[in-house]
Amino acid sequence: MPEGASRSGRIPLTVVGGFLGAGKTTLVNRILAGVAGIRAAVLVNDFGSVNVDAALIADHEGETISLANGCLCCSIGGDLVDALVTVMSRTPAPQWIVIEASGVADPWRIAQVGLADPGLELEGVVVLVDCAAAPAQLCDPLLRDTLTRQIGCADVVVLNKRDLAGAAGLRALRERIAQTAPAVPVLDAAHSDVPLEALTSLAPRFRSRARNRGAELDHAARFQAVTLACKGRLRAARLRELLARMPEGVLRAKGVVRTDEADAEVLQFCGRHGSLRRLESGASADVGKIVAIGLRGRLPVAPLRRALADALFRVED
Amino acid sequence: MTRASPAPAATTVFPARKILTMNPAQPQASCVAVRDGRILAVGSAEEVAGWGAHETDSRFAGKVLMPGLVEGHSHLMEGGFWKYAYVGYHDRRGPDGRLWKGLRSFDAVVERLSEFERGMRDPAEPLLAWGFDPIYFGATRMTTRELDRVSGTRPIAVLHASIHLLNVNTAMLRRAGIEAHTQVEGIARYPDGSPSGELQEFAAMFPVMRAIGNAFARGGMTEDGLWRFGRIAALAGVTTATDMLSDWRQESVENLARVTAHEDFPVRIVSAYRDLDAPSETENGLRRLEELRPASTDKLRFSLVKLVVDGSIQGFTARLRWPGYYNGRPNGIWIVAPAALAAAVERFHAAGAQLHIHTNGDEATEVALDALEGALARHPRPDHRHTLQHCQMADAAQFRRMARLGVCVNLFANHIYYWGDVHYAQTMGPDRANRMDACGSAQRFGVPFAIHSDAPITPLGPLFTAWCAVNRLTASGRVLGSGERIEVPQALSAITLGAAYTLTMDHEIGSIEVGKRADFCVLEDDPLALAPQRLKDARVWGTVLAGKVFEAPHA
Repeated sequence: MPEGASRSGRIPLTVVGGFLGAGKTTLVNRILAGVAGIRAAVLVNDFGSVNVDAALIADHEGETISLANGCLCCSIGGDLVDALVTVMSRTPAPQWIVIEASGVADPWRIAQVGLADPGLELEGVVVLVDCAAAPAQLCDPLLRDTLTRQIGCADVVVLNKRDLAGAAGLRALRERIAQTAPAVPVLDAAHSDVPLEALTSLAPRFRSRARNRGAELDHAARFQAVTLACKGRLRAARLRELLARMPEGVLRAKGVVRTDEADAEVLQFCGRHGSLRRLESGASADVGKIVAIGLRGRLPVAPLRRALADALFRVED
Repeated sequence: MTRASPAPAATTVFPARKILTMNPAQPQASCVAVRDGRILAVGSAEEVAGWGAHETDSRFAGKVLMPGLVEGHSHLMEGGFWKYAYVGYHDRRGPDGRLWKGLRSFDAVVERLSEFERGMRDPAEPLLAWGFDPIYFGATRMTTRELDRVSGTRPIAVLHASIHLLNVNTAMLRRAGIEAHTQVEGIARYPDGSPSGELQEFAAMFPVMRAIGNAFARGGMTEDGLWRFGRIAALAGVTTATDMLSDWRQESVENLARVTAHEDFPVRIVSAYRDLDAPSETENGLRRLEELRPASTDKLRFSLVKLVVDGSIQGFTARLRWPGYYNGRPNGIWIVAPAALAAAVERFHAAGAQLHIHTNGDEATEVALDALEGALARHPRPDHRHTLQHCQMADAAQFRRMARLGVCVNLFANHIYYWGDVHYAQTMGPDRANRMDACGSAQRFGVPFAIHSDAPITPLGPLFTAWCAVNRLTASGRVLGSGERIEVPQALSAITLGAAYTLTMDHEIGSIEVGKRADFCVLEDDPLALAPQRLKDARVWGTVLAGKVFEAPHA
């Protein structure tokens, strides 16, 4: 599956959101230091706070840092359009783009670019929540609509700084988030140690390297993956229904399938948002299988198989 | 000033039909003498003759001189846009002086675009246009059907006046890769689900922006763009204009320095560093301020810091206090969180910087005043001249608070005309729309104030802006809050000395007084003799910058 993803011709895009102090910059630093074997480009809001080991820096020109591991870090400055156009036009092109939204931004507004631009593929919106500060922020009349908007659009919510919240506090916050964003996967983390699976479906590709380096972000044991074969032709309308009403417990799903619309369409789902888009012309892929990921023991394998079987064209159709 | 070889400096006397000085101690005069680019004397012919030998330049003998007008809130992007076709609803003058008539129908837009299209050689080059405003066309929206009539093969993109929307033709949809399957909010559709060519907001617009190399945004800081901006400003009688949102990157700064240093560049530019919602940007701003302030010249000043608190009222992104938007839309967005704003304000204030803070909605204004009050309490500083920009919904209590804190305001008077009807009916409702951009309140409560265009959002033209503040007429002819009107002399002061004060340049520009820079706006008509309803029609002949005459092209 990861190989297929890379050959779909689009650059996977992840948007990291969350209010000021939720740990976005720490996460960006972890991604830059912990990712290996993939050219990730991270567009950041607070460029000066990016803290990369000097030994890893290959080049620092203006508001772009190039790392020896192939990753890039660029400042968004005042113009996200410009930053994104610039990074997408680099040769070689990045293999993964991460956008760090500003602390007050609505990450979904940004993330939709991953559905709109033919060169991008949305991997999801990950929203960090500061367990210690969020309860008060959610009561502040100046802030609560901003936080609610952010949580409400998340594909994955990460309750960060869980070490700073008591068990009761954490439970109350989970309930609050379940009201705002029902059925959205909620993970918890400390020090922005967010599992790669929450960030991208590319995770397996760079895990091997990351594990060798003993890096963080490696939480493979927490997750379970299943490969679903679907060799026949599927009904696109049914697939879109499935994407809109995914059984609970699916964190991500991705694959290339044959449908009544096209011989190869990329199905992509994360948390709440899914898409079915034609495979870019010229891209090659392993057609006919979908990989789904969820927390170990919570992946709804049977309902997924049923839904895919329902979507299949049968002889009597 | 010391000179290597002390030659007698040349003195030029300009007699005029009338000189409106904006100096209350000597409101009018008939002659002004200029030496070394500065005003040597103001008075009658006899009064200015005492400084010795001089030349008399009589070309203004039949004209009216004012201090060079000051645009206190504009963006250099205006100059970038004029590379492309203007298709707005209202008349607008281009950098070459040509008057582009406002386009009142989709057919007229198609016709103008077709005219541009015929002049283009490379068939693959996209045709770009700007200034289109759908609010004047009721419920009907422009679609690919209209733009495809211009060309079925050349990609076309039309940027709206708000700069948050685009209209494109089928060829551009194809080039950008937007199709029926593209499932994104912000793509307007025909009943059959195929895209109709209107693209709203960042995500939907991005594929087009990428296809055209982000040309709209990048054009403003090019040398050509800067020249076009300078010409637009001079045509409107402006001799000092602001660059209200600058990244102060090395390349931008070098372009600005090179272009403004040219003796034919007709305006002084005052540049504001745009701070972003990130502590490292604030530190970067302070460092750049320290580096660039000494590099300022007579015509280019790096002196301000700009903070943006909320969005726009007509885009429903401004932060409003209770009872919120009149049509029930949810509250708008913060561009910077209130606590982060307070931290940035305090940091810049304590370091001695002058802040210009964008607040459109009254909740944003309140939060900005809280931040300023906190910073001032901890770091008292006389004469800081922090200025609230736009500040369109402030009420009387907020104006009183500005007065107490020594805060200035630059009100967006042009909004009354361009969006006043929308504010009345949809965003604010009658009562709050009637007090929007309240120049009358600013004056009553003693808040130093200016008025502005926010070009390219509305056309750069301080005399029109003054007309808005005097008449408070909307595009449909409704008077919004006659109690907030000001008199013509006060409005003229707001576009000269008032704006200069908010830039902390009132000791150099903004009035015709001895020792100040010889910057004049040269008018065919006397704005004090015109009926107030006709103030916007006062004809600008040209400008004088540091004694050098710039005749506006009259096309």
